Amino acid sequence: MKFSGGFNISIPGRPSADLERLPEPRELHIPLRTRRFHFSHLEVSQDDHVRQGQVLARDPENFAIPLLSPRRGTVCLNKYEGHITLENIETAEEEPFDPDSRQGHVPHGRWGEGGMKRFQLKEQGVWEFFSDAHTGTLPDPMAQPSGIIVTTLNLEPFTARGDIQLETRLNSFTRGLEHLQSLLEYQPIYLIMPESGSDIAKEISRQVRGYASIRLTTVEPVYPNDSPALLARQIGPSHAPEHPVWALDVAGVLAVDRCLTYSLPSTIRIITVGGPAVSNPRHLMAVAGYPLTSLLEREVSGGHPRVVNGGIFHGETLSNNQQGLDSECRGLTLLEEPGKPTFLGWMRPGAKKKSYSKAFIGNLIPSASNKLETALNGEKRPCIACQYCERVCPVPILPHQIHKDLYRDALEDIERSGTELCIECGLCTYVCPSKIDLRTEIVEARGRLQELQSELEQTDNNAAEE
Amino acid sequence: MKPVMKIFDILRPLFDEGGKMKPLRCVFDAAENFFFFHNEPTEGAPHLRDPLDIKRFMGMAIIAIAPAALAGVYFFGLRVLAMIAVSYAVGGSIEAAFAIIRKEEITEGFLVTGLIFPLILPPGLPLWMVAVGVAFGVIVGKELFGGTGRNLFNPALLGRAFLFLGYPAAMARDYWMEPGTGPVGRLIQFAGAVDAETVATPLSEAREAIFADTGALMWGNVSGSVGETSALLIAAGGIFLIATRIANWRTVAATLGSFTLLGLFINHLTPADFGPIGWHLLAGGLLFGTFFMATDPVTSPVSDGGKWAYGILIGISTLLIRNLTGWMEGVMFAILLGNIAAPVMDEVALRLRQKRLIKIKLKNWENAVEE
Repeated sequence: MKFSGGFNISIPGRPSADLERLPEPRELHIPLRTRRFHFSHLEVSQDDHVRQGQVLARDPENFAIPLLSPRRGTVCLNKYEGHITLENIETAEEEPFDPDSRQGHVPHGRWGEGGMKRFQLKEQGVWEFFSDAHTGTLPDPMAQPSGIIVTTLNLEPFTARGDIQLETRLNSFTRGLEHLQSLLEYQPIYLIMPESGSDIAKEISRQVRGYASIRLTTVEPVYPNDSPALLARQIGPSHAPEHPVWALDVAGVLAVDRCLTYSLPSTIRIITVGGPAVSNPRHLMAVAGYPLTSLLEREVSGGHPRVVNGGIFHGETLSNNQQGLDSECRGLTLLEEPGKPTFLGWMRPGAKKKSYSKAFIGNLIPSASNKLETALNGEKRPCIACQYCERVCPVPILPHQIHKDLYRDALEDIERSGTELCIECGLCTYVCPSKIDLRTEIVEARGRLQELQSELEQTDNNAAEE
Repeated sequence: MKPVMKIFDILRPLFDEGGKMKPLRCVFDAAENFFFFHNEPTEGAPHLRDPLDIKRFMGMAIIAIAPAALAGVYFFGLRVLAMIAVSYAVGGSIEAAFAIIRKEEITEGFLVTGLIFPLILPPGLPLWMVAVGVAFGVIVGKELFGGTGRNLFNPALLGRAFLFLGYPAAMARDYWMEPGTGPVGRLIQFAGAVDAETVATPLSEAREAIFADTGALMWGNVSGSVGETSALLIAAGGIFLIATRIANWRTVAATLGSFTLLGLFINHLTPADFGPIGWHLLAGGLLFGTFFMATDPVTSPVSDGGKWAYGILIGISTLLIRNLTGWMEGVMFAILLGNIAAPVMDEVALRLRQKRLIKIKLKNWENAVEE
């Protein structure tokens, strides 16, 4: 599948294939808020003894998905606000799934086998790995999707790499795909692989060849070609509210396999710690709630790097309040904050810089590193219509045009510009030499258009009622 | 470096709130950001940004134009440096004045305009005319429209057009100079003699069907405007700009391509008094205008299709104005004409693009309906 635009920012700190099991902590501080979820409905109380895999809390806004306890321990609710702390940690054997113990929530006697499987996926912490390809939100576990997209690529710097997780678990992965197939009624599963054709890719294509509804698709490994929204649009099944497209990554498929084959919950998370401020970027096997202070102490040798929960395009800076890894964490990216301003910095040849334009010596040297700090790298200026944003954008919209129309408050012009196509990859903001925050502006334009539309619908409804 | 930083630190309180020179804050900021690369941290995602900024963008353009400017000094003397200094001083002061009045920052657009403007003038032009021209160009061509990023016309060209129409004899006849020769040229001279009788430019010679030698046109030992004589250096700079993705290749290809095609066609019809197409391409300000002024991103169309149409308009207009009108030089008016047409070209290109977008959205809907 071919995409236009896109750009790979090659910064140092790509996590290696090493997978390290973190030493067992003494306590776990499990945040109740993650990127998409807020586990506000607690099911345990202070000083409860919980089993490994037991439900600690649920998110009432998101189909009551559970937050599972990664270890056996004692609950403490008032140590850190917004966290469930587990003390006296012990690793225990996980108990297989017993649907009757969860009956309290929804009567499942009426469901068929498919319904039971979905219930089990949800209850054993696997549903967290699913997202709606177009919106990124949690899809309804009981709805029938029009297709499933499984991406093996993680192109945003830096989150857990799919190829690393696949390497030793190919059979589990294939079995997971079979399980997914059993949830569908012949709707296709699209398996997205990079074009490079590594050994793993060949092995996978061999293994899935027999399955009619698993379609192997290759994409160039350029960010944001791993975006489910982009892939879903290009593949075909289009967004209609009753027939969403589900998206999963490799970790999700492995979790599906673990759940439906062994009836075991998934509480282990594979995360990365990467970025230029890390001396040994690699993968880590951790659990939700792992204390961040001890984790970061081992990684940060000196200075105060910016710790981003996620990658550089979508991740948020870790707040001081967060004490442990959240259950949706896929990686921590450590970036260097800007130091003292360099003398005549903008004039320097830039042997250690690479740019989307080719205006640095580093662009001519393929092996040159790209030393980027979390600096704006320039002052905010008016748009000079250089067209970099347009060229790097993977969908056919014109960010500079939207910027100009927003500046003039010309909402009718924005309507024609296709703001709803934006997948919010953030590349336009990254490349802009005038340092304009284009992504925020496009999202703002989209919001204003929606407001306008709902206002118009209101007046239409009012007029109809009269 | 440290002492410079200290100077700024000492002066900063004067420009802060309550300081005596608070209104001139933008001048202080411009100077400080010139010397010390501004690195405020990003707020939120994306956490990193491309290292290219507008200062460097303009700096690349200056690097590309510098060889032609230095050749101008070699051919026409140190006076060229005086012209450049006047241009920067007068134009820069006007930019600063507008920034102070508007309480905005001084932007870098003028770094390039200030260098280009003297390079398109006759080498002997009195310095006061240079000052008047750049003032007009910056005020009417740029500031009246809202400053950097919002100007309709190329300010350097508008200034030149003002001088051309206001002082026609000075601009078209009186101040040409013979180029310096030898290893030193005019590098140790302030200026050569300006003599309306004996100095003719390649374009004026062509009126008597004398076509200068292509070799001379390539290297630049012909008379003409300060920076436009050396085709080789201009082309080198232009290709540098295209290779670093600062200038767009479409405008250049469209301009030179349409110019060449039309020129070949006319040459085929009247070879005797039209001259070889190579001469046409290298003589006068065509190359300078194409590489450094038509490619200005702000005044050229934003869309790719628009850029093709823009280049074709400029190429054809230059040829026609040069050969079918009383003016000897056509590029200036052709580019200004293109600047006027650019917004319309963009509007057409945008409408066509939106039709395509609607088709994409319809395609998505069809898929939904099929399911």
